[in-house]
Order: sequence, then structure tokens, then C-alpha cells
Amino acid sequence: MRTTTWISVSIAALAFVGMVDASYVAIYASQGFLLPCGIAGGCDQVLNSPYARVLGIPVAWFGLAFYLTTAGCALFALSGFEQALRLSFPLVSLALGFTLYLFYLQARVIQAFCDYCLLSALLVTLIFVLHLWSRRHQGQPET
Amino acid sequence: MNRSSDAKSSSTGKTKRPESASRSLAKPLTALAVLVVAAGAVAMFLVKRNGPESSPVAASSNVAMPDKPVITTEGWSKGNPSAKTVLVEFGDFQCPSCAAARLKVDNVLKKFEKDLKVVFKQYPMQQIHRNAMMAAQAAEAAGKQFKFWEMYEVLFARQNEWVNVPDALTFFLKYAAELQLDVEKFRQDMLDGEIRNKIFRDLLEGQVAQVRSVPSFFLNGRMMQSVKNDAEFEELIAQAIRTAQ
Repeated sequence: MRTTTWISVSIAALAFVGMVDASYVAIYASQGFLLPCGIAGGCDQVLNSPYARVLGIPVAWFGLAFYLTTAGCALFALSGFEQALRLSFPLVSLALGFTLYLFYLQARVIQAFCDYCLLSALLVTLIFVLHLWSRRHQGQPET
Repeated sequence: MNRSSDAKSSSTGKTKRPESASRSLAKPLTALAVLVVAAGAVAMFLVKRNGPESSPVAASSNVAMPDKPVITTEGWSKGNPSAKTVLVEFGDFQCPSCAAARLKVDNVLKKFEKDLKVVFKQYPMQQIHRNAMMAAQAAEAAGKQFKFWEMYEVLFARQNEWVNVPDALTFFLKYAAELQLDVEKFRQDMLDGEIRNKIFRDLLEGQVAQVRSVPSFFLNGRMMQSVKNDAEFEELIAQAIRTAQ
């Protein structure tokens, strides 16, 4: 299997998990219920903090849009449109930056962690690493 | 252009046609659609598995609608527990009319204390009141520490503080502390599936009973409709008490 192929498959798979994660949180949030939390135990604090919404929209919806776009780009790359992966790199970088900001908020400001946010942070990081790998494999793109 | 001849020409021809481009676009788009549907299905499955037994809408479709609304008198109650006249309210803590109605209910309860039982059932209209469900959970969690009515009063009396905030939980925890509840237990209880199921049972009961707005009152199982003012509300209850005697 070509490197780009397995990288695209891996990104699509990670984005799928991300879509499930973000949809789950979004569905719960739309029902107005507090989310059951496992390991971290701070989901209620995090998801009901003022930082859980951007411009009035729950962060989970932004996450869903990100994973949807990322999965789409990976699938296009698999179908031969390899530049789709490269085109989505700025978005992935932005998502990683936002993820780091959210992680900082959880650690320092809210002082509570949410399982679903941590899972998403892990997924975004892995997607970013795979993108880097793919770029390294392809060589630096033309600037 | 004929589809088969098009397929033939694109497979044999050396130049790519727009149709073949759209076909190659169709493949990833279809895969993406499958992925989206699968992700949505898994998320819904997880919500159903970890959440309440079922959503009110889903549950109501599986429930046979009775000919006459059946209202139980179970729930948070005050007044005379063995009174023959029972006033059931379906209420939402985020609804301003419900906050106003509690004063009306308190008045009739004072007047007919020995002959009236008042029952409160949860009917959080979460589509229009984003913090209503959480407020219902807060009241139920306070109830687990025997302070439902105290929390009920605080939630209604200080409704303006929490209705439009993104972090209503902070306010509910503050109220719990003010009511001298065990705040950590209160927080845990708010997440309790049993509480969510209880709220959903109330919601389902209200849906079956054709509750369309809040507050909705049922006097001895009959919905009180088109009540013009507080005096008529009181008079209808007085009549029901007289009939029961």
C-alpha cells in the first residue's frame, strides 16, 4: 500500500472517530443534559463553562465541521485527488492551535478536564502528525 | 448522450470528459456520506445507551395513546397528601409564566390547605429553554437531599440570574451551597441516570396528556383550559373541592 494511501485511510478513520465524539457531545448538549463523564470527570464543568461556546455555537459543532472536512479531504486524496490532503493542512494546523488553546483552558482556567475534549485533542494531534508525515513523504510543497 | 456509450468512450478514450470527472467525484462524496451516516448512527446509539431510556419523542411513538389523558398524582407534592382534590402542574423552571404561576399556586394552597394536594411534574421545554433541563436536574438533585421545594423556590425566584447564561451550572451549585446541600453529592446526582429517567417519565406523561405549553394544570385529571384569571382558577379549585366533599 502506498504511503499516501494508508495515511489517508488513517486520517479518514481518525476523523470518523472524531465525528462520533463531536456528534455525541453535540447531541447531548442539544438535549440540555449534563454529559456523563468517565476518567477525567470534569465534563460538566468544561462543557458548561463560558468557553464551551464560540459566538454562541457549541464548540462540538465546530469540531464536527472540522472532522467532516478532514474526512472529506482524506477520501478525496484516496480517490486520486492527492492535493486535497495538502489543501486541508492549514485547517488541521488551525485545529491543532485551537486544541492547544482548549487544553490550556481546561488545565489552567477551568481546572477540569473533559474526556471527550481530551479524545478530540488526541485525534487532532494524530491527524496533524499524519499530515506532517505525508508532507515529508511527498517533499515540501511548492510555495 | 447515452450513458453506456459515454462509459465506453471514457474507458476507451484517452481524454478525460467532465462526466468521468463527476464520476470520480461521486466516489469520495458517497464514501463521505456513508461515513457521516455511520458516525451519526454510532453517536445516537451511544446517547441512547448511556442516556435516558429513550427520548420523549421516540418513546411516545411506542406508547399507545389512551382515550382519556391519564395523569398520575405521583411527584413532588405539597398540601394535604390525602386530599381528594389534586392539582397537578407541568412546569418548566426557565419559563417566566411558571415562575409567576407558583405564586398563584401558593395562594390557593394557603386557602385550601386541608383540601388540596399540589403535585409538580417536570416539563422542561428544552427546544426553547436551553437551561431548563439542567434546572430540572438541579431541582431533582436537591430533592434527593430532601430540598426539592427549597430549590424550586430559588430557581423560580432567581430565574433572571441563570436563564441566559452559558454556565448555569455554576449558579445551581451556588444555590445548592446556599441551601446547605452536600454540593459534591448534588453535582453527582445531577448526572444520575435515574434523575434523567424521572424527568423523561414526566415529559412523556405530559406529552400523552397533550401538554402543549407550560405551565399546564390538571385538576383531578382534567386539563384546566381557558382559565381567564386567578379568580377563576381559584373558583374552579373551590368547585372541585366542594364536589369532592
